Amino acid sequence: MLRIENIHFSYNGIVEVLKGINLEQKCGVGCILGPNGAGKSTLLKTIVGILQPKRGKIFFKGRDLTNLKLKERAKLISYVPQEFSLSFPYTVFETVLVGRHPHLNTIFGPTREDEEIVIKYLNMLNLEGLKEKPFVQLSSGQKRLVLIARGLAQEGELMVLDEPTSFLDFKNSLLALSVVENISRKLGKMAILSLHDPNLALLFCDTVFLMKDGTIIDSGKPEEVINSCNMKKLFDLETEEVMIPRGKYIIPDKNSLQHFFE
Amino acid sequence: MTASHSRSFGYNLLDEVKNGSVKFLKKGVLLFFLVFVISLILGRYFFIPWNMSEVEKAILVDVRLPRILIVSLSGASLGLAGVTFQNLFRNYLAGPGILGVTSGSAFGAAVAILLFPINYLIQGFSFIFGLISVFLSYSLGKKLGSTVLSLVLAGMVISAFFSALLGLVKYLADPYNKLPTIVFWLLGSFTGVRWSDLMLALVPMLLGITGMLCLRWIYNVLSAGDEEAKALGVDVRKYRTLSILLATLATSAVTSVAGIITWIGVVAPHVARLMVGSDNRRLVPMTAMVGALLLLVCDDLARILTASELPLSVVTNIVGAPVLFAILVRKKGVLYAKD
Repeated sequence: MLRIENIHFSYNGIVEVLKGINLEQKCGVGCILGPNGAGKSTLLKTIVGILQPKRGKIFFKGRDLTNLKLKERAKLISYVPQEFSLSFPYTVFETVLVGRHPHLNTIFGPTREDEEIVIKYLNMLNLEGLKEKPFVQLSSGQKRLVLIARGLAQEGELMVLDEPTSFLDFKNSLLALSVVENISRKLGKMAILSLHDPNLALLFCDTVFLMKDGTIIDSGKPEEVINSCNMKKLFDLETEEVMIPRGKYIIPDKNSLQHFFE
Repeated sequence: MTASHSRSFGYNLLDEVKNGSVKFLKKGVLLFFLVFVISLILGRYFFIPWNMSEVEKAILVDVRLPRILIVSLSGASLGLAGVTFQNLFRNYLAGPGILGVTSGSAFGAAVAILLFPINYLIQGFSFIFGLISVFLSYSLGKKLGSTVLSLVLAGMVISAFFSALLGLVKYLADPYNKLPTIVFWLLGSFTGVRWSDLMLALVPMLLGITGMLCLRWIYNVLSAGDEEAKALGVDVRKYRTLSILLATLATSAVTSVAGIITWIGVVAPHVARLMVGSDNRRLVPMTAMVGALLLLVCDDLARILTASELPLSVVTNIVGAPVLFAILVRKKGVLYAKD
């Protein structure tokens, strides 16, 4: 279980980006849904430990993450970043191998065993054919899968994914999220990710947290929380809810943006 | 590395890459020892190893052996410092001097040549000012926000500052006596290096070399960027400081013995990267090897090309630039390909 209590964060000490975040996720795939600039990435980075919150506590499985050493924390939490620019042409295999770091001796580096673990996860995501290819030469979709493989190789019990669908096309967005959903089901891991498409959240997530201006405005099951009223609050946009056989679908009303041009 | 691209599947592929790199490293070690021995024989006096007089033996043991040892260690130090900074700054073009160590050392040596022209003091001043300049860059970078960019900017500021001071010292120096000494020192040379010089520089060099070799795996993680490294459990600031310290110790020691040696620190990592790829577990030892080999060859050329010795940086530039260009052209697109 992930529990966040009253997290405050500010980049410059003046403007608060996170204004007292409280959330609780029991299991499965959680999703932070919100517009650009809501503070989603910042919140995820405070969970991972990249950013130190000014106030507040983060608990995972009863352990207070804010008191853990970086390496211990990295064993518990895998992170899949939004953008990743490698400076050197590391191969896919080398890129994923770096994910083993929290489990390694700093001087001796990875062992045969670690390499086999990496191969295992590359196979799981059908990436074994790419393992000697330079990461920088991959397509965006392949890159995202490789980064998810790196997160898997890290073997944290909680996976944190920052906008796993950014830069991806229609199909690859679905693929990336299906992979996360599958991992969560099969390996029994928890995942928390950020999205800005309510329909993807409806398709893949077990819990949704609606975030705007550094606060959580509502949370719960996706089909309950994602509704026209909340979308208006979140995105300042008129939407229509449509029920289709497989569930709910949100259709935006283009005309509600007219005021922008007046 | 290149051979493995043609065959694209199979579990043993990784072993193939690894074995290929090991083969390169073995070849490198062999070649290095060959060049090491040849360097001992080459020079103004050419020896036939199995028929030496007492004088020749003395030259071999007291003049050439210490010189060749320190040249090898210096080459390895510069190569390692280069590859360290390239990883820290995630940039192919970073070299050992990026945080101002060479400008600081140059200024220190010039001051000593001007005021206290004793060999030990010149060495000491150069070493200390090398450390001071990096310390200043580091503190300034911390003030600017402790990111990679702020460090590079601070390095530029400090380099410029010490270059200006060096200019002032040169301007004040006696143009018939002191100035040529300063200029020659700035061009780098291992002329007249004895066992006593080796002993002084040995500790910081060996410390730097061993340390950087030990950090090779962490460079893979650090070069992924600050946030990634943190998410993977690395105390970024601690390891960055440690790497900078080790690279600076080694580079300052080299500069204090030999003056300023350009190119090796930038070229050696490139050559090594083209042979074994980017994985620092193989790249770092290979860079040390290539650096030592390149500097030995350059020093040999400096010794034998003309009757009086050529300045070393002249040779490293003339040899280094075309070598790098030739390799890059031949391997174009294989390893440097971006999206």
